[in-house]
Amino acid sequence: MIENRPWLTAISHLSLLLGIAMVALPVWVALVASTHPTEAFGSGEIPLWFGDQAIQNWGAVLFAKAGNGIDVPVWSMMLNSLVMALGITIGKIAISILSAYAIVFFRFPFRGTAFWVIFITLMLPVEVRIVPTYEVVANLDMLNSYSGLVLPLIASATATFLFRQCFMTVPGELVEAARIDGAGPIRFFFDILMPLSRTNIAALFVIMFIYGWNQYLWPLIVTTDDAYYTLVMSIKRMLSVEQGDVEWNQVMVTTLLAMLPPVLVVVGMQKLFVKGLVDAEK
Amino acid sequence: MSDLVLENIGKTYANGYHAIPSIDLNIEQGEFIVLVGPSGCGKSTLLRMVAGLETITQGDLLIKGERVNDKEPAARDIAMVFQNYALYPHMSVYDNMAYGLKNRGVNKDEIDTKVNAVAVMLGLEELLSRKPKQLSGGQRQRVAMGRAMVRDPKVFLFDEPLSNLDAKLRVQMRVEIRELQRKLGTTTLYVTHDQVEAMTLADRLVVLNKGHAEQIGTPMELYDRPASTFVAQFIGSPSMNLIPTSVKSEYLQLSVDIRLPCPQLADQKLIWGIRPEHVEICAAEEADVMLNVKAVEALGAETLVHGSLQLGDGNTPNFVVRLAGHHTPKLGERLPLRVPRSAWHLFDAETQQRVEKSCN
Repeated sequence: MIENRPWLTAISHLSLLLGIAMVALPVWVALVASTHPTEAFGSGEIPLWFGDQAIQNWGAVLFAKAGNGIDVPVWSMMLNSLVMALGITIGKIAISILSAYAIVFFRFPFRGTAFWVIFITLMLPVEVRIVPTYEVVANLDMLNSYSGLVLPLIASATATFLFRQCFMTVPGELVEAARIDGAGPIRFFFDILMPLSRTNIAALFVIMFIYGWNQYLWPLIVTTDDAYYTLVMSIKRMLSVEQGDVEWNQVMVTTLLAMLPPVLVVVGMQKLFVKGLVDAEK
Repeated sequence: MSDLVLENIGKTYANGYHAIPSIDLNIEQGEFIVLVGPSGCGKSTLLRMVAGLETITQGDLLIKGERVNDKEPAARDIAMVFQNYALYPHMSVYDNMAYGLKNRGVNKDEIDTKVNAVAVMLGLEELLSRKPKQLSGGQRQRVAMGRAMVRDPKVFLFDEPLSNLDAKLRVQMRVEIRELQRKLGTTTLYVTHDQVEAMTLADRLVVLNKGHAEQIGTPMELYDRPASTFVAQFIGSPSMNLIPTSVKSEYLQLSVDIRLPCPQLADQKLIWGIRPEHVEICAAEEADVMLNVKAVEALGAETLVHGSLQLGDGNTPNFVVRLAGHHTPKLGERLPLRVPRSAWHLFDAETQQRVEKSCN
């Protein structure tokens, strides 16, 4: 749309700036708050410029034990979060790409049924099946373990569906050409299909990483041992102080740290991400 | 020994549909066979059965004397060129050509030599590092052929490889394919619906209609002596004029007015055929038939005159005449035509099969 109306331009810029401010202000406040001593927040005034406690606060949070009875430092919780997020992401992609491969390229009895059964699980997110899933995980003795954190979350109908759509656009002639070229199912998968769905994998990686990183309810339920706490759930724990003040400066540091990896993933992969969602490279 | 043998080959789909009832074909070493027919005639299915991409439900397929019905495509030692080229979009031209060899465990140096040799033959040396996306249609077509050639297979299979190219390039590639095939001497099975392509490429043609072979023969055999009205109409452009008529007391009743002597044929219903290019303009008194001109297509080298014959029984069948050079008959004009006896084709009206004419 090419229009030359100065007022329209001014207003749209203004509303964009306003939008940015609305999104950025809380982040700014968090960033500023992480550099002040705890007492700065008792006064009821929110500081808007950096204080002088940055190094102490960040150092304390990262390497000392996180406050409020959590026995491990934040970096170890970050590690847990990372293990969980990556585990979920890689697991989801691996499982869904394989099931989509089976559904699209192989003829077997009840193939359609298999697809619809997978599809129906869309209606059963963790929140819905949390009690039975907990039961299963507990019986398998996976409470307080990485596998307990990751495994129940890695089946993904969404990703299967996305890969299915992607695979269905692969022309039949390409599959046949590969067959004549002597590529068996496994070769075809790794040599042809994986490179072709590279951008889709990247897009899913971004979405699933954020999904995995932001998990709150499930880690809250399956972990009781501090060694397996994840960052996102620990923030809540740090806030629920029974006596005394909440250590806002430390909470803010933790919050910022929790926001960082998803931001990095999005920024680092945004080109591939957009490509994967928008264009089909075939 | 025949190179590729189809013995009583048939295809019945799981739903009971007979795509191909039965076909017998012996292909000699180095022969270029074209399967031609309208869409849905089973030509692609037949090719895919030879390739191993469709199962064969009846008969035997032999390559160099070995029965390959149940072998995987890769194990049959064939190579196929697809209509849409089917190049691997993420691989370079080099990798596209090398992929089949790589999968067969050929060592790197040998792959390199072979790919480069083929690239030189096809003029692709400069393009080896490009991706298929960066190539033009003709170049992609060449890469697809290169991928087939590099493996040095026993049989080449082409599935309408030129139908995605523009007219000019198609002619050029047609010549190139023929030339390459002669040079390599590889037995080739080629599918097309384009009769010009079929005529120009083939050593022998197989005209398919509804899954059975109407006629197998050299292009000129098919042109000169079509075995049925189907072949007669399919081979040659514009297609043969076919006019239903009958023989009565040794005369071909082309109409009430025009009786052409035709001894030795029993009384029966016939279809009389003549190719547009075999009709001649003549003086009015020598005319066998008169043509009412309805449209004229001047192509420079030749002129196509479309019209209808004025037959005595009130029948006015459509008729096309192809004349060399420039002619400018007026619309509505009555054009006297002579139809040389030697150029006639007669077909049985019921079976549509050729009737050997001996009326002179």
